[in-house]
Amino acid sequence: MSAEVEQRVIKVVAEVTDLKEEDIKPTASLADDLKMDSLQRMTLYVALEDEFQNYSMPPEAVANLATVQDIVGFIDKQLAQSPPA
Amino acid sequence: MKRRVVISAGGAVSAIGIGLEQFWRNCLEGACAVAAVPDAWARYAELHSRLWSPLPELDFEALGIARAERLQLDPFAMLALVAAREALLNAGFSLVPAQRTRAFTIAGEDAARIGVFLGTGIGGACTFLHNHSVHLSRGPRYNPFVVSMLMPNAASAVIANKFSLHGPNATYCIACASGTVSVGNAYRAVRDGQVELALTGGSEFLHDEHGHIFRGFDVAGTLVRDCADAQTANRPFDERRSGFLFSQGGSAVLVLEELGHALRRGAAIIAELVGFAETFDAYSMMSLAPDGAQIERALRASLADAGLPAGAVDYVNAHGTGTVNNDGIESAIIERVFGRSVPVNSTKSLLGHTIGASGAFEALVTALTLRDGKTHINRNLETPCSGLNYVRSATVFNPQVGLSQSFAFGGHNAALLLRRYNG
Repeated sequence: MSAEVEQRVIKVVAEVTDLKEEDIKPTASLADDLKMDSLQRMTLYVALEDEFQNYSMPPEAVANLATVQDIVGFIDKQLAQSPPA
Repeated sequence: MKRRVVISAGGAVSAIGIGLEQFWRNCLEGACAVAAVPDAWARYAELHSRLWSPLPELDFEALGIARAERLQLDPFAMLALVAAREALLNAGFSLVPAQRTRAFTIAGEDAARIGVFLGTGIGGACTFLHNHSVHLSRGPRYNPFVVSMLMPNAASAVIANKFSLHGPNATYCIACASGTVSVGNAYRAVRDGQVELALTGGSEFLHDEHGHIFRGFDVAGTLVRDCADAQTANRPFDERRSGFLFSQGGSAVLVLEELGHALRRGAAIIAELVGFAETFDAYSMMSLAPDGAQIERALRASLADAGLPAGAVDYVNAHGTGTVNNDGIESAIIERVFGRSVPVNSTKSLLGHTIGASGAFEALVTALTLRDGKTHINRNLETPCSGLNYVRSATVFNPQVGLSQSFAFGGHNAALLLRRYNG
């Protein structure tokens, strides 16, 4: 799992939730630990698309991502499949 | 006794300045911002007009709008938010962080008694067109917030969400008269005791990546045709006028208050709002009725609302688009109601046409003109189209009562009357 991707994901999660980056653990559950509702999660995925410009996070693809590290894994996988030009 | 309504502050994001006082200084210098339209637009259409008035590069992050917000807001809503925040700060209010993320409350004010009344011509059309392109190309990034971004009430709603305001919240979609009608209805709400304080004005963003919106106005023959010299192409009230200068957009927001409320908190009052009226032509969707009868009725009704005779008006901020049709008819009406000597200018000679924001900018200019006793020139006026007293230099003339009027596609007419605040 890429440390750089993880750091960028945590930065975006912090932006959306207004939490401090140091308070967001990779194992944190979006729903239970970070208390993100469905609208906040939608905001998060749009913000992640903005952060990782060449990738998209359609709702059906991200529906089962439960934790921060699930998101990092999803993006890592996309990066491995189609690295940016 | 009728409650008096004052303008205690304003905020502005425009092609000729970000921030109220910078905008006003540049107005007084007769500044404009005119450039060739984006090259990319030529790929889609043979355009007759080739000029527009672009906004400066805007760093919304630096202007207080975080990425998580920007991705959920059309630029027209962001422009309104920036202007509203500036207006509140200029009014001297303290913004206190609220419990909700990135929201504030206004210290010491009853949020239930603060309303938002905002105008826009086309709301989030830019977002709609962008996502339409994504949709047609089966692109993966269709924004899930598209509905709340494109709805015209997004700007008034986001202002109230940001500053936790619970009073009436209304959006006026009345094309080029949206800003004027919004300010007029905010004035009535404060005057009639519905609210103590109102944020009001207009916002517009007309830039889409393929030039759709520009083309719509261009093909209708409304835009400036003689584009040989960018600096002089936009010439309201001149014999050689050839259409209006398309603006990328902007926003102007005013703070209206009941006079006693403003005095109790020591507000620096800019001007007083004393009258408002609106009428409808029922003549054509795109053209003014040639006799101007309903515009004249709006002007006289605004005078009656203020309890003032026509002779009291000593400054007119005209609609002044620069189209052959508008400027000719408007000049005749001004002469008929106010005579030839009243100073007249067109703020669109500086800004171009900001559609739903234009009336708000012009109300602001009228207020600042009364505050400072001087106004901006009617730019690029060489051969006036009538014998009116168009403003040629920004000299002090100390007007006491100013009129700002707007007319809109559809047939709407609206007029605001403002008075210098002398205590």
